[in-house]
Amino acid sequence: MTEQKMIPPNTLMAVGAVGGLVCIYLAYFLSQANPIFVFFGALGAVFASIWGADAVRRIASYGLGTGVPSIGLLALGMGIIAVLFGLALDIGPAGPIVAFIVSCAIGAIIGIISKKVVGMTIPIMVSATTEIAGAGALLILGLSIVIAGSLDYGIVVKEVIRTGFIMMIYIAGGMAMLHPHNSNLGPDETQDRLLALSAEKAGIAVVLSGFASVAGMGAIAITVLIGIIIWYVYFGKYYALVKRDAYKVVDTGLLPTEEEMQ
Amino acid sequence: MIDLVGLIAPNILWIIAIIIGGTLISISVHFISVGGAPAAMAQATGIGTGTVMLAAGAGIAGIIAAGAVMDLNQNLGVVLGAGGVGAMVMLAATMIVATWIYAYGVGVMPVSAKVKYDPITKYRQDLYVSQGTEGHGIPTVAFVSSLLGGLLGGLGAALAYYALMKVGTYAYSGVIPLDVHNLDLVAVVATFTIGFFFINSVIPSYNIVGTIEGFHDPKFKRWPKAAVASFLASIPLGIVAVIAVGALAFVGGL
Repeated sequence: MTEQKMIPPNTLMAVGAVGGLVCIYLAYFLSQANPIFVFFGALGAVFASIWGADAVRRIASYGLGTGVPSIGLLALGMGIIAVLFGLALDIGPAGPIVAFIVSCAIGAIIGIISKKVVGMTIPIMVSATTEIAGAGALLILGLSIVIAGSLDYGIVVKEVIRTGFIMMIYIAGGMAMLHPHNSNLGPDETQDRLLALSAEKAGIAVVLSGFASVAGMGAIAITVLIGIIIWYVYFGKYYALVKRDAYKVVDTGLLPTEEEMQ
Repeated sequence: MIDLVGLIAPNILWIIAIIIGGTLISISVHFISVGGAPAAMAQATGIGTGTVMLAAGAGIAGIIAAGAVMDLNQNLGVVLGAGGVGAMVMLAATMIVATWIYAYGVGVMPVSAKVKYDPITKYRQDLYVSQGTEGHGIPTVAFVSSLLGGLLGGLGAALAYYALMKVGTYAYSGVIPLDVHNLDLVAVVATFTIGFFFINSVIPSYNIVGTIEGFHDPKFKRWPKAAVASFLASIPLGIVAVIAVGALAFVGGL
């Protein structure tokens, strides 16, 4: 499958970072007019998770030695700290972009430390950790604005953190980034299949955060609907790609009943 | 915009406490006997999951214990003790149940492949290692080592939690100080500590390349590298955490 056309990392980075930030800012400004527009935050989270999954794919294909989940949890850990910091500064609309930049900076610091002090030999360690940290921050920002309906520090703390939904974002968002590579890795791994799985997982995270939203019934309905559409489209796409890449997909039927066993 | 200098200046001591906590967490990962996926199939010594999951599980248990106690008693020693014991209890429960499963379910005996004699019980080890495996189960030395790891990890997590709670409840000029029972403060501090714990347990996992048996494993000698790495990584994280938690006092904890 090596002749498959791959999307270059820079394109995905542009889609994830620019698309994610633009969507989060659309949600930020438009939701002040009408809370329904928080669904843009969900779209931003999907872009970010696709970017993050590709970055995880590139770094984890070198073999981390600790399993793929470690890097996904690292990404969201850095993201959570940076997002809370960026929003806590109380600088209005600059908060999300400061959170994104701080997250990238923390990622770069951790990457440099892993390379220089711990002695990791992965050549793209620094750039990839920076990318996953940025993607993690965007994912948390996008899903937080869906739940809280605003990115005001006080409201995010009250509606996302105090209620515990932050842990749902942590694990569901982390899944969207780490699970695609973890379940697709191997010699027959293809990029388009992996990214389809990431979008499908992000769809689930969007549905869950849509249910948790306090931005009103309209916002809940449209976010959940968008999440379900994303999930349905990309689950179908993923299954089609599995069938394309697999030698053969056979139906094993149901488990035999007790009479048939005898 | 909040007053950053007024926020950081009174909290230098707590930033140092957070950095020490991160370093303790990093060292603790080297003690916890973890074998990854091979251990889950009884083909390597240790608990059958990844370092990050296990260390984070112990750390979160420690944070819960520390947080629950801090609600009742704000003495540093009591909070640290609760954190350490909470993490140890979580690891001990995990390991004893895993040992039952290895012994009575899988049918292998706990044995280390890294040493010829168990340093604690002095029992012979190498004769009992099944061919083609790197030991199996959780032998006494690995059990004791993991408990020490749980203690250190819980202490580190509780120290970071305590420091951030102190940052949040400090009386900054011009604001009413938050109460230690304020749920918003507790939630933000707990979320921060968990994120902090994940970062500081991933760095040492890279150092030990995913698996380690405990303090008797040759890989254990690498711990200073991870401790230095976590120490350096915790400096920016500590500053960022202090600002974010302290800012909660300025919005009045809602």
